[in-house]
Amino acid sequence: MIKVNTEDHPWTKALSVQELLDEKGYIFPHIVVRINGEYVEEDDYPTLMVQDGDDVLVLHLIAGG
Amino acid sequence: MEPGQYQRNHEAISREEQLILAKKRVLVAGCGGLGGYVIENLGRVGVGHLRLVDSDLFEESNLNRQLLSSHMNLGRPKVLAAKQRMQAVNPNIDVEDFQTRINSENAQQLMQGCELVVDCLDNIPSRKVLQAACEKADLPLIHGAVAGWRGQVCVVLPGEKLLDKLYPSQEMERGEEARQGTLSFTAATVGSIQASLAVNQLLGKMTWGKKVLLIDLLEAQFQTIDLD
Repeated sequence: MIKVNTEDHPWTKALSVQELLDEKGYIFPHIVVRINGEYVEEDDYPTLMVQDGDDVLVLHLIAGG
Repeated sequence: MEPGQYQRNHEAISREEQLILAKKRVLVAGCGGLGGYVIENLGRVGVGHLRLVDSDLFEESNLNRQLLSSHMNLGRPKVLAAKQRMQAVNPNIDVEDFQTRINSENAQQLMQGCELVVDCLDNIPSRKVLQAACEKADLPLIHGAVAGWRGQVCVVLPGEKLLDKLYPSQEMERGEEARQGTLSFTAATVGSIQASLAVNQLLGKMTWGKKVLLIDLLEAQFQTIDLD
């Protein structure tokens, strides 16, 4: 089990960050990802694997006023 | 004697709290989509001193969402429109207008004498300048941002630097709003929540904590996420 934005999400196999984003429907180009509090660079999305027990935070980058 | 204007604030806001609000000074940074609703709400509820900062003039593309914009005031400074509206809505409060862009040179001076700052700006670098100045001035910052159907709000207390978590990249200037635009009801929702948090904070009614409220009006969902 992993957590995505505080909600439980089943963990059946190691997924890359990009695969998790696709699976959860985060399709916007501007996204902020943190895993266990650590910021993940966009370049690492295809290669960094989400591990069982990870706490993943995904935010849309929103800055309009 | 308290103006009759505040009669229907009670008892959600007590008469004692109303007097406290009358003495408070709040800086509203940005008088556009969010700022318009923040100013409207803070002025109507009776925050006694509003200091408004924005360098922009109204243009046609503002009309879809910016409360203070109209076909009558295109080309006019946003801060002047905001001040005039507040003079008409609540002459019991004092409104200062500064038609300037907030930067690292003037931010702290603009905050002098204020007890709270509301972030209604429209780009990431300026928002971070505001956070840094609040940190130095030891002031709470009520952050709000919008893009399309989505928005976010948080209370940033000195030392927390929550905007660094929302905007970790050093290069980005804008977010999804550059692609999706901004809708009227999103600005109204987020600006109103910012105003309620500002009043809440001024009256010491609650502790917010290191979290962000995410708003998705397309799905009618509100979610609070811990940023600690």
